[in-house]
Amino acid sequence: MSGGTMEVNGVRIDDTFAEAFGMSGLGLVITADTPKWAMISAQTMTGFGTSVIGCGAECGIDRVLDPSETPDGRPGVRVLMFGFSPDALVPQLRNRVGQCVLTSPGSACFNGLDSKTKMGLASGPRFFGDGWQTAKKLGRRRFWRVPVMDGEFVIEDKCGVTTEAVGGGNLLILGRDRAGLLETTEAAVAAIAKVDDVITPFPGGIVRSGSKVGSKYKGAIASTNDAFCPVLKGAVKSECDPDTIAVLEIVIDGLTSQSVAQAMTAGLKAVTDMGASRGVTRVSAGNYGGKLGQHHYHLKDLLA
Amino acid sequence: MSTLSLTLKPGLHRPIDMSAVKPSAVSGLSPYAIGNLELGSGATAVKLGDVFDVTGEPGDTVKIVGQSGYLDYVGAGLDSGTITVEGSVGNYAATAMKGGRLDIRGNAGAYLAALMTGGLVTVKGNAGDFVGGTRPGDRFGMQGGIVVIDGNAGNRVGERMRRGTIVVKGSIGAAAGSRMAGGTIWTETGFGEGPGPMLRRGTLIGPKVERFLPSFSDCGRHDLNVLRIISKHLAETLGPLAPKPLPDMVRRYAGDLASLGKGEILITTA
Repeated sequence: MSGGTMEVNGVRIDDTFAEAFGMSGLGLVITADTPKWAMISAQTMTGFGTSVIGCGAECGIDRVLDPSETPDGRPGVRVLMFGFSPDALVPQLRNRVGQCVLTSPGSACFNGLDSKTKMGLASGPRFFGDGWQTAKKLGRRRFWRVPVMDGEFVIEDKCGVTTEAVGGGNLLILGRDRAGLLETTEAAVAAIAKVDDVITPFPGGIVRSGSKVGSKYKGAIASTNDAFCPVLKGAVKSECDPDTIAVLEIVIDGLTSQSVAQAMTAGLKAVTDMGASRGVTRVSAGNYGGKLGQHHYHLKDLLA
Repeated sequence: MSTLSLTLKPGLHRPIDMSAVKPSAVSGLSPYAIGNLELGSGATAVKLGDVFDVTGEPGDTVKIVGQSGYLDYVGAGLDSGTITVEGSVGNYAATAMKGGRLDIRGNAGAYLAALMTGGLVTVKGNAGDFVGGTRPGDRFGMQGGIVVIDGNAGNRVGERMRRGTIVVKGSIGAAAGSRMAGGTIWTETGFGEGPGPMLRRGTLIGPKVERFLPSFSDCGRHDLNVLRIISKHLAETLGPLAPKPLPDMVRRYAGDLASLGKGEILITTA
């Protein structure tokens, strides 16, 4: 360790922290006749769900489910959705399920999060049945059956929602080789994917356009993170090293703070396990000085 | 886990109301107080100790030994714990039951699980008419919980039923699901004549129907995902008591088209 950093396998780890925010989150189980169609439905439903800034919700696939884990015994996928509040998730849930799951061949949609707080899942989509929808209550769960052209769309009446979720856990990975950096970051995303209750909502789990709060332009609430833009390192107060040519970020949302910490640990380990061999030089994290987000994840704590 | 055992004395010649006997009501009572519990009310009331020999400790289980069709309202209003009957019971068993479990190792009379809202009822033998039904003046019959009958059930099973599940391993008599507003009735053997008169909503499942009402319409064969959910729910909830999983394809008859018509009879063998 030297100065504010420590080094693992030739990769320097900044003595800094990721600053994350409290969010609301929910989970859904999407099933279909085959794993392929469950995944297609889940991917469509979570599409355009990278950031609450422009998408209304941050969405992603948590994991593939075995038929034994789903209410109808069919192949399934668990997806997670995050938003600023349960109210903010209402239209996102209605539209995404209504347009992307209801429409997908053979699909069904169930609650995927045990929580005391519930919100309507079928509140919108069931009315597609135009009066022919019927409900079946089994135990404490109510399922709606909506007649559609390939049979019936089954959707659970309510889903659990938590306000203990965390959005914005992150790792910034710096490198001197763009291809090697991408390969290493992909490995980190793959390691994070094995952690339950978290998603990495950006394309392939990776964001190349990390942002800072605010902009010189009126109306833009976020703009490019110039301190981590390698092409600006001679022009601004840069966080890049002289040999940095690219920085990639992994943003992590989780249903609990613990799951976000686990995911960051898994990602960090994947990066340090690959070491500097593929051109990664350093790992840092994004924060706002610790004043905005309630959750701080110190990289050195995650390495311990 | 302590059990209070009630062994029926010989010589019972008229119906008695057993609704006062439930684990939550006898728990914490002394043997003297239990013996003095009044069964029924008014001039026909009897003391529990006059009808039963009482042994054991009151706790979350009550065991009734001995059979009599005069034991009415066994498990009525049951909210928690277990009542086991080593024999047959009379009418109205599990009426308005809210939770817990009632196991009847013999037969049950009429109105088994009428107005029930939760819990589990099992019957080793047969059950009479109006299983899961209603009583005059009540809007709905059974509104939750599960009933499993190993033998046969009588007529008008699920009369005005709104929610919950009735599983009959044997056959069901005539007019099952009459005026039903929701819930599921499943026979592994078959329905008698005219199931579903004035059926509004709800699902009747079975391998055959003796005679359909003319107001049911054939909608063809279908692969209904909700049946997988029902099968899995019952397998998880009932374990070895669960009926065999439903086949992938069933023939759906919509009805009663003389009423709201959003109910269905699903034939598992057609």
